[in-house]
This record gives sequence, structure tokens and C-alpha cells, in this order.
Amino acid sequence: MKKKNVIVIGGGPAGIEIAQILSNYSCNVTLFEKEPQVGGQIKRIDKLFPDFIVQDEMMQKLISNLEKTDIQIHTDTEIKDIEQIDNIWHLKTNKEEAFTADAVVLATGFKTFDPKYKEELGYGIYPGVITTLEFEDMLKAGKIQTSAGEEPRRIAFLNCVGSRDEKVGNHYCSRVCCINAVKQSIETKELLPNAEVFCFYMDLRMSGQFYEELYRKSQEKHGVNYIRGRISEASSTFDHRIQIKSEDTLAGLPLKMTVDLLVLMIGVEASEGTTNLSAKAGILGEYGFAKSLSLHLKDNLTKKEGLFLAGACKRPSTLREVIADARAAAFEVVNYLKMEING
Amino acid sequence: MMEKKYWKDYQREIADDDYFYHRSCIRQTFFPGSEALFLKILKNELGKNVTDDPNLHTCTGIGYHSDVVPFDTTMTIVARLLSQMNKSELKNFVPSCVTTFGLLSEVLDTWKHFPEELEKTRKFLKEATGREFKIPENVAHPSDIIYKNRKVLKGKMKYQLVNKETGNPLKVVEHIGCHYAKIFPENTTGGAEFPQVLAGMIEAWEGKVIDYPERRHCCGFGFRQYLIMANRGYSVANTKKKFESMQPYEPDFVVANCPGCAMFMDRWQYTIAEMEGITYDKNKRGIPVLTHEEMTGLLLGYNPWDLGLQVHQVQVEPLLDKIGVVYNPDDKYVGKSGIKLSEPQRPKNI
Amino acid sequence: MPDYFLQLSKDVRFTEGLKACMNCGICTAICPAAEFYKYDPRRICDAVQSKDNERIEQLLKSDTIWYCGQCMSCKTRCPRGNAPALIISVLRKISQETGLFAESEKGRQQLAIKRTIAENIVKTGYCVHLDHVNPKLHPEQGPVWEWYFNNAQDVTDRLGANYNKDGPGALRKISKENLDEIERIFEVTGATLLHKKIERFSKLKAEELKLSFDETGTNNEYFFHVYLKNSDNHNI
Repeated sequence: MKKKNVIVIGGGPAGIEIAQILSNYSCNVTLFEKEPQVGGQIKRIDKLFPDFIVQDEMMQKLISNLEKTDIQIHTDTEIKDIEQIDNIWHLKTNKEEAFTADAVVLATGFKTFDPKYKEELGYGIYPGVITTLEFEDMLKAGKIQTSAGEEPRRIAFLNCVGSRDEKVGNHYCSRVCCINAVKQSIETKELLPNAEVFCFYMDLRMSGQFYEELYRKSQEKHGVNYIRGRISEASSTFDHRIQIKSEDTLAGLPLKMTVDLLVLMIGVEASEGTTNLSAKAGILGEYGFAKSLSLHLKDNLTKKEGLFLAGACKRPSTLREVIADARAAAFEVVNYLKMEING
Repeated sequence: MMEKKYWKDYQREIADDDYFYHRSCIRQTFFPGSEALFLKILKNELGKNVTDDPNLHTCTGIGYHSDVVPFDTTMTIVARLLSQMNKSELKNFVPSCVTTFGLLSEVLDTWKHFPEELEKTRKFLKEATGREFKIPENVAHPSDIIYKNRKVLKGKMKYQLVNKETGNPLKVVEHIGCHYAKIFPENTTGGAEFPQVLAGMIEAWEGKVIDYPERRHCCGFGFRQYLIMANRGYSVANTKKKFESMQPYEPDFVVANCPGCAMFMDRWQYTIAEMEGITYDKNKRGIPVLTHEEMTGLLLGYNPWDLGLQVHQVQVEPLLDKIGVVYNPDDKYVGKSGIKLSEPQRPKNI
Repeated sequence: MPDYFLQLSKDVRFTEGLKACMNCGICTAICPAAEFYKYDPRRICDAVQSKDNERIEQLLKSDTIWYCGQCMSCKTRCPRGNAPALIISVLRKISQETGLFAESEKGRQQLAIKRTIAENIVKTGYCVHLDHVNPKLHPEQGPVWEWYFNNAQDVTDRLGANYNKDGPGALRKISKENLDEIERIFEVTGATLLHKKIERFSKLKAEELKLSFDETGTNNEYFFHVYLKNSDNHNI
């Protein structure tokens, strides 16, 4: 019997994991990744929440599993077009090459919110305002410093930038920012024990295992300060520090503070690939994410036969969820193509 | 400080010609020369068609925001103004006041999203006056129009916003009226956070825009917070906050597109100086505050005393000297009659 | 207990102004009134949202709702699309319609605004006109203003105005036909009724406070009481 062809679009953790699993079955797997390397957005992170595992070591395990297979991996290649004709999927790349498949897995993931759209926070205008990812770069380098190369004495983290915000069109919660802020606050205190660290939040969504304990540890052991209030605006002071305006809602008083660094916990949006291909395939969901067939029982299927979803292309997700989701999606693909495991 | 710009530098729709001008209670009272100049610029410098209908009146904005004029009344009064515009067959409403501009935006938005309010207003206007009205095609503030024509006007300007002696650009604080930008940011030139309407003029005319922490802070008019003497502390406190924040940047002058803001930022410097002995510039003479029309007119070469700069409390001569404007000090307190009027008293501290 | 929440919800600005508040505090963060007064727009939206008419009645009787300066900075930033300033306008409306405004020091000031601004509109067609800005009631305007006020005709003529005359121009005399239509609009849309209520409740309060009250004008004990009184109890 002729071997089936499966195409996985997206070489992040979800794409890597599902491609690697499917390579054990009787099919040809091809993986497309638009960046020069596989790995995805997670590669930017230094240590993972909630247990501070080194991201690089973790991802190396996934990637080396992939490298052991004979999967055809096309990096620097973006899928631009997708169409189903008579049960066969036809794909076209940015290099004008055409590919076909019996089943396609969309693992095109997410992008982060561009905080330039929250002009009042001064991102891209005042050097003291950075994103959580730029902060991870500093953590990887083992050094937190201001643009002037100095050690910051006071750092503020602002949750919900680009999330839970009608003004930028993202009404939803991005899931990962609250715990990330707790993680980065602890990492800050470990590198700079004398720095004052403030987390500005509306709610502290410690919804995963070990999250609440980490929050408590950040307070008890590390002295991180939590202020329940959303920062309204950030401006530059005469000496190039950042002035922020918030309300301490628990005290019921407005609060103005000058900090050396303001870290924006930017939210999660659908990547351009997710939105583009979901639209072309007819499975576009809210906010440009891909829409699964049914939330509880068919979350890796779509309304199109042979088109499967794995990972953060559906909604903001944690790494653990994305890997588990990729494995569930693999099960669906195997079922659909009625494949047998290789002997 | 404003090098990296990511905000949408979008040009919101600003009508090109055929303007129906609506005067501002505050601008007429405190800066009548500015209104006269704006009409002159449109007609003489830019060759535009603009009407000045005497059958107009207040939009009731101040009354509305101090809660003595109900919303239904304000909507109907606005409708009357629009019906008057329809009579002239013009479609582009140009309100001199920033409160009127904000009010128009609010009323038009209400009518769009709540058609029953529009119907109610039609009914009220018909019952009270027999009039009917149409929605305008465009609403633009005079500062939007000057912004749109800033490059053409530059070509006609005698002076620029440059210090004549040092050759350096003048440092300008631009203040945008809250009701211009904050109610419907999409209805402005450049949005609410880094509005372009005055910054664009200043930069086109070679000045330097100052960014300071309280740049977007209200001047403190506060409607009822100023109208009632017992509340005026609020009003002056807001302006004080702004001046304290801008002081280290040593601005050469302040320009505002809202007439109330221009008036308050001028007068409160006097009040603070007399009450506390504090001024916010090195020479203890105050930071001159101009309306956007006055800034435009000065650079075009109009006589500062025809523009009305003698009616400002903070003396403008230091600024005129910086720019290199040629003026006659003896002409300052002369009225239309040609008679030299007796001069105002000098304050102690500014 | 009257259903104040129901009354509030009938106003279109209430629908515009309060969708659902999540108490994030971004409004209070940026509010100038919160900086200077005992004022917190977030708490006001929270109180109104609770639909608790006793809490709402407390607001209607208090100084609190009169601290807002209507700058609309809250509307620009709210992540739920609310506008506390609009809620304040509707609360102030209900406070005046029910007479509860007369129970607070700041609320009582509405009489002074009615006697000045509202009457100016009907009498002259301006909210504010040069003639209304008496230097004696506005010392903060400074000596140049006083000079300008005393030389109004000559100076405004030079500046291209048409001070108190017929025809177009700044500070012109607005003709009777226009003023009559404005008055008719005030009657038909309920402004005149609101003004009568402000007068009526203010008169009752003047009697209670044993202050003399004239039916018109600004030259009486009650007017000056509401115009000038500041208990200095309004700040944080």
C-alpha cells in the first residue's frame, strides 16, 4: 500500500514533537519552518516556569529526537497557500514550490503583541521600557542593566500588555504572562538582590501546578512587591528614568513611581502564518487563531477533513500543554490515515 | 527624545475647502485676534472659502460639561448650528473651540450608534424651531486645517521657530486640549498619545518639540472646577503640575490649540507667582503661552499687537526677541482709535 | 428607596459609559481629580455597577461626584471601553433632578453655575462673554485682563472683533431671533425644567441654612455662600 504523505507546517515544539512521533508510522513526513532553524519562539526563553529548567536543554531533547528521524525538514521556507482538492491538500511555499499531502498539521503557533500599539507606555520611544522577551535576553546574558549600562535599582513588571484590552482588540487573557512575571521577578532578585521589584497586576492567574507556590515563594523568600493596579502611562523623566502612573487599588489611592526599567508582559496573538493559512483553509477562529472542531473532544480536528491542529495556533498555551497537544494531534492523524507503526 | 516614532502618522480626513466657521466663547473673549487671524489666513493666504455666520451661538459645551445643560438640550442646540450650516449649503463644520470639537464628536457618535437619539433630536428641533438638519460631512478643528497647510504656510513665513542669535531651534511645549484628543482618539491628527497636529506645525517650522512627563496632563480647566471660585485650587494645581514637570527642559514657549488651555496656562503662571513667588523660567518672567493662530500669525509676520499678544499676562517680548520679530513697543497698548491707552499694572513677581 | 440604578440606565451616556468594570484602576491612575481630591473614579464605577441603590444614593448626596473635571483621560485608557466621566455626568443629572445635589457643599454650587452660565446662554447666546468675566470675581485673571476689560471696545476693535454690535465677528451681539430659538429649545428639551428644579431645591436649602435668597441675580447671601465656601475637607 502506498505510503501516505503528511505535512507539518511549523517547526516549534508542537511541530517538532508531532513530526517526530509520526515518523514512527507508515507515512512520509515533511516539516516546514519559516525561520533558518527549528525551535520556535520558546528559543528566546532562558529558563522555563514553574521549575526553572533550562529551555535550551529541554528543547535540545526534542530537537535531537527529530534529528534522529529521516524526516525531510525545509527551513527558511514558509507555506503561503493551502487548498484541499478531492481529499488531497495542495500547498505552496514562498519559493513558489508546490507540495501535496493526505494530511496536514497546522503547528504555526503564535506571535507576541507589539507594544508599540500601546503608545502611552512609550515602548520604542523610551529605552527604559522593554518587553519580557528582551528581558529574557538579559537573563540569558546573566546581566540586567539599563540602556546606559547601569544596574537598575527599581524594576517594574506590567501584566496584561496587549491582553484583556479592548483598546487593542484583544479581549482575552494570554495565559502565560502572570506566571512569567513571577518567574522573572524571582530571577531579577536572584541577580540583583538589592533591587526593588514591583509587579503590577489586575489578577494573579496562578492557574497551573506549582504556580501558586512560586508566587508565595517570590514574596516570602525574595521580597517581590505586588501592586494590584494597571499602569496607565509611562513617560521619561529628565534623567531618563521611567515615570509610571497607576492606582494601588487595594489602598484606593493613585500611585506614581519612578523606575529604572519597565518590563512589559506582552501578550500572545496568532502568528501571521496561523491567521493566513487558517483563513485560506476556511478554519479561521476568533482573533485570527485557528478554530478546532470542538473544544473538549475534537480539539485537534478541524471542520476540514485531513487538516489537524497542534499547539499554540489555537490559543495562548504553555509549553507543557503544547507538547501534550502535539501528541494528541498525532493520535488523530494516525487514526485518520489508519496507519500502522513501523515494524 | 522623540526620535523613534511608531504611532500611526495617519492623516485623518480634514476637509480641503468650503468651511463653515463656528466661533468659540472662550477664544472670542480672550483671544479675539486669533479668530480674526484664522479667517484672514484661510481667505488671504490660502485662498479658501469660509463663512462667518452671525446667526450662530454657543454650542453650550461649557454648560453641558458643568451639568446645567441637559444632553438632550445640547444635542438640539448642536442640531440648530448644523441646520444653520445646511442653509449656507456647506458641509464642513469648523469649530474654533476644542470643547465644541469634542462635543461634535460625541454627539455625532451618539447619533450614529443610537439612531433613536438622532430621531429624538430631529423631533425636538422641529418642535422648538421648525428647523431640520443634516449630518456634516467633515468636522475639523482650525488647528487641523493649519496643520494640513503647514508646508504651504511655511513658504509664506517671514520667521521660523529658531533662536535668531544661537541658530538653535526653539524648544516648544505643545499642549493639546483634552477634548480634542482624548474622547475619540481616532478622530484626531495622530491619536491621543503623541498627537501630531501641533507637533507637525512646530517641526515643519523648524522648532523642537519637548516631551516631558506631564505632557498629556490636563491643564485643569475642569469646567465647574474653574467656574466656581471655591474650586479654583483644583484648576491651578493641574497647571502647576505641568509647569513643574516642563521646567527642567527650559521651554521657550508653550502653544495650545484649545483657547481655554492657552488662557489658563498663561494666567495661572501669574497666580502662582503672586501667591508663592515661583516662576518656571530662569529669568523669572514666565514662559509665554500662545494660541496656535498666534504662533502661525507671528511667523507670517503679522504685527504682534494686531494679533492680540498684548492681552496675555505673561509678557511675550522675550520670545519675540528670540525669534527676531520686529515690533514697536510703543504700539503695544494702543487701541483701534490710535490713542495710547494707560498701561496695565505690573505684577510683583512675574 | 428609589431605583436610582434604573434611572441611570435610561440615559444613553450610561450605556456608553459603563459596560463592565474589572476594577483595574487605570482610570484612577490617570485622573487629575484623583491626584488632588478624595476621589477615585474606579470606586464610583464599582459602586454603580453593584446596582446597590443605597450606595448610589450616598454618591448622589456627596461631594464626591462633583470633583471630576471632565477631562476624559479615563475614557482614553479604559481597557473595557468604559468612561467614568460619562457616568459622573449621569449621576450629576440624577442628583439635580432629585434635589440631592443640595445636600453637599460642591453640589450646592450648581445654583451659581445656573445663575451664571445657563442664564448667560439664554440672555446672550454665549456661555462666557468678555462682559461676564468681571475682574472682581476673577482676581486670578491678572492686571492685564483688568486693563483689557476696562478698554474692551478700543482693544477688541483693533483685534478685529465686533464687540456687542450687530453682524458677524467675535463678541458680536447675537440677535433676538436666535436667542428666542435657543430659549424655545431649552423649554422643549427640559433645560428650563432642570433650571427650575435647581432653583427650587436651592431655595429650600437656603431656608434651611438661614441664608438670604433672591430669586435672581448673583448678589445675595446664598449665591456667595455656594460660590465661595470651601470646607477644605476635600483633599487626600
